[in-house]
Amino acid sequence: MHISTSVLTWVAVILTFGIFSFLWKDNPFYKFCEHLFVGVSVGYSISLTWYNSVYPDLVTPLFRQGQLLYIIPFALGLCYFARFIPRVSWLIRFPMAFVLGWASGVAIPAFFQTNIIKQIQGTFLTPSIFARWDVFLWALITFIGVICSVFYFFFSREHKGALKLVSETGIVYLMVGFGASFGYTVMARMSLLIGRLQFLLGDWLGVIR
Amino acid sequence: MKFFEFLLRIDRRIIYAVMAALVILPLVRPLGLGVTTGPRARVLFEALDSLPEGKAVLISVDFDPSSMPELYPMLTALMRHAFAKNLKVILCGLWLPGSGLADQAVTTVPPEFGKKYGEDVVYLGWKAGVDAVILGMGENIKNVYPIDYYGHPLDSLPMMDEVERLRDIPLAVSISAGTPGYADWLLYGQSRYGLRVGAGITAVSAADAYPYLQSGQLTGLLAGMKGAAEYEVMVQKAGYSQTYMPAVAAMDSQSLAHVVILVLVVVGNVAFFATRKTKRA
Repeated sequence: MHISTSVLTWVAVILTFGIFSFLWKDNPFYKFCEHLFVGVSVGYSISLTWYNSVYPDLVTPLFRQGQLLYIIPFALGLCYFARFIPRVSWLIRFPMAFVLGWASGVAIPAFFQTNIIKQIQGTFLTPSIFARWDVFLWALITFIGVICSVFYFFFSREHKGALKLVSETGIVYLMVGFGASFGYTVMARMSLLIGRLQFLLGDWLGVIR
Repeated sequence: MKFFEFLLRIDRRIIYAVMAALVILPLVRPLGLGVTTGPRARVLFEALDSLPEGKAVLISVDFDPSSMPELYPMLTALMRHAFAKNLKVILCGLWLPGSGLADQAVTTVPPEFGKKYGEDVVYLGWKAGVDAVILGMGENIKNVYPIDYYGHPLDSLPMMDEVERLRDIPLAVSISAGTPGYADWLLYGQSRYGLRVGAGITAVSAADAYPYLQSGQLTGLLAGMKGAAEYEVMVQKAGYSQTYMPAVAAMDSQSLAHVVILVLVVVGNVAFFATRKTKRA
């Protein structure tokens, strides 16, 4: 055992135990750690945003280099703060309109290409999948899953008879999907616990590497 | 029946204690259960392995410290692999709180391989505006990042002479804990500039990424700590690095914890249905 003498490590250890104390029950120590985390996160984000984005991309070109074109984004940015002044709060519509218009124009074609066209292509039973039986099997399972799962959300006709079979097959696929997500979630949460324990046993106590 | 009722009344804190003990034990005394590598991680490994020497790989650090146990080992393993293959590494990030993590990787990993900042590795840092950043990098990286994370002008870094835009980068890997992340690189980097994208993601979001893998949009996938461990094992087996592998070291604990959860789920359900029958009677 080789206990750390670093003050920062000890601070991290105390805060870790503060958060873990919630497992016993809610308490003021946990609340303190939680609020400290929120405060530090916000402060860290504000300072990084200033030094990485606002200062080099707006303040420097506009006020130090005199590039007057930057007045437009500066003015649009200021309009966001109009929300705090009721008399001129309508000004916020300008940057919102700009962002919505720009983002929609950029995102819609890209989204269509990535999430619809390519995904539909991915379900096609092309000749190449018949080359190997296992590839064919997985492609067929995917194909049936997509058809049945999409059909489950088709509400314009009552699901009975053959349609009921298709929709219930869709439910089975959805349940398998939820189960896989839950399994992965358990794995993720365990990983976070292990990460903290590696820190406590390694960086703090020096029991492990 | 009393036994089942007893099981259902166990204090959750006892379960926490048992779980903690079973996670700590293999960390202190490894069981040596081993890590098998899957096809999804192998695809990414082979994609990076087959790149010609001197080419640049983009790694996007799209996570924050809360996902560090799962994703940071992926970042270091990918960097080690790239440096062992004499590839250049460009790091950037779409997550603001991840800035410091990438910086930590840049200061620790390249010296292991004698790599120099500016010649073999560059860290661009974080910029606001996810879609605008990726689209801008597709046109000209220096327009989006005139200076790197440390304040060096990109023109002064020799490595960036050969990399002008995304089309000059044969492979990008987004190590992401959610949004923004690999999906944005696919949306803007791949659909518009044909960027080849691999992903390392948290286990929570793994199920969402499989459709992109099946459709061939993603070049390989590392899912959670297991994915990180798989990559670490492949890097080690190929003889690229022999350093400590934190994800591999955690796998015994992970396996044991999963066994406990499986047992708890089964026992909990059996006890629930057994006592329900009695209550009805």
